[in-house]
Amino acid sequence: MDLDELYRLLRGSHVQAVSIVNTLRDPLVVLDDDFRVLTANPAFYKTFSTSRDETIGTALADLGNGQWNIPELRLLLDQVIPRSTSVIDYEVRAEFPHIGPRTMLVSAQRLSHPDSGQRILLFTIVDATERRQADDDKDILIGELGHRIKNLLAVTRAIARRTGVEGRSAEEYRDDFLGRFDALARSLAVSTQEAEADLGQLVRAVMEPWLEETSAITLDGQGAIALLPRQAMSLGMILHELATNALKHGALSVPGGLLDISWNLAEDRDGQRQVHLCWRESNGPEASPPEAVGFGTCLIRFATEVDLKGQAELSYRQDGFVADLTFPQ
Amino acid sequence: MLIALDVQMMLQDNGYTVLGPAGTVEGALRLLDDMRPDVAVLDGNLRGRPVVPVAQRLRDLGIPFVLSSAYDILAFDGCEALAGAENVGKPVTESRLIAALQRALP
Repeated sequence: MDLDELYRLLRGSHVQAVSIVNTLRDPLVVLDDDFRVLTANPAFYKTFSTSRDETIGTALADLGNGQWNIPELRLLLDQVIPRSTSVIDYEVRAEFPHIGPRTMLVSAQRLSHPDSGQRILLFTIVDATERRQADDDKDILIGELGHRIKNLLAVTRAIARRTGVEGRSAEEYRDDFLGRFDALARSLAVSTQEAEADLGQLVRAVMEPWLEETSAITLDGQGAIALLPRQAMSLGMILHELATNALKHGALSVPGGLLDISWNLAEDRDGQRQVHLCWRESNGPEASPPEAVGFGTCLIRFATEVDLKGQAELSYRQDGFVADLTFPQ
Repeated sequence: MLIALDVQMMLQDNGYTVLGPAGTVEGALRLLDDMRPDVAVLDGNLRGRPVVPVAQRLRDLGIPFVLSSAYDILAFDGCEALAGAENVGKPVTESRLIAALQRALP
């Protein structure tokens, strides 16, 4: 059966088959009984950057670099099709000429000429490379998300465990816990809006509950300083502990007390960029080191030294508490 | 960050002296260059890197360890270094961690 005959056959079936085949977006080839190409649609030439001359009359196994010369596929076409008449979405991963490594899903359908009984094979190919890549990316993302959620639960649990209970009412415990929990949530919100968090945004987000209530707090930072999400989380928790202390014992516990938070980015002698954040309370009660080191102070030191790999210098001065934090960006 | 601090405080509350913590595989290996702990607690993953090289070093040094990992440890390459170590999971409860450490110690 030649092409004209096929077209006639298809026209005879009252189906505008040729134009349907030609407008199909997925590549389609028609093979004869020996798996030689009888015809191919424009999408086939376009997808595989090939021409009619290279394609028509060529055996399927010899097309391109021989990507279709797959024993398993051959077996499917040879043995399965005569019995089941079709193959759906058989996956072929190969390096194709001109277009590189691809994942193709192959479907094949056997048709018989009603008069001559000649059999042809409709062979359609879907380029699933991007879809497969997107599926893989999605799986990775879901896995990562699952791990992050577990991690976040562990962090929340640590906050609940470490928020003090001795000599405090349930309400006090709840408020302290939620204060830390909210600081965590605010820090996370800043770092997930974009891949990197901006230091100024983080300070504003964590300090927001108090910035609204008082004009005693001034913020002073220039330019954007990018922080990794984990740095943002650590610094956010540190800022919250500093704010809590200032409210309980420091400058924010009395009228007229002032708090100045300033930050900048500078290069140290080795050319490593160091973030410097200064928390300076003034006009408040005289600061004195706590008699027993609480979780808040532990957290400030631990987060700065272990997680941010920096230094925390805590000074208890006559006019107020000062914290100088330095860590590599 | 808070998880490591929590674990550190759990251990201190139970009379352990904490030599770490180390936040990275390199940091943990450096720590083992200078110090010889009696027992170690390992997260499965430090800043995105499997903890396997640290587990391997601990095995070489004959130091027992327990894992506290949210991951299935068999998913790692070279997980034979982790084989046989108890995974107390993450998050971990104080009683489970302390019991596992006591089992791990000779």
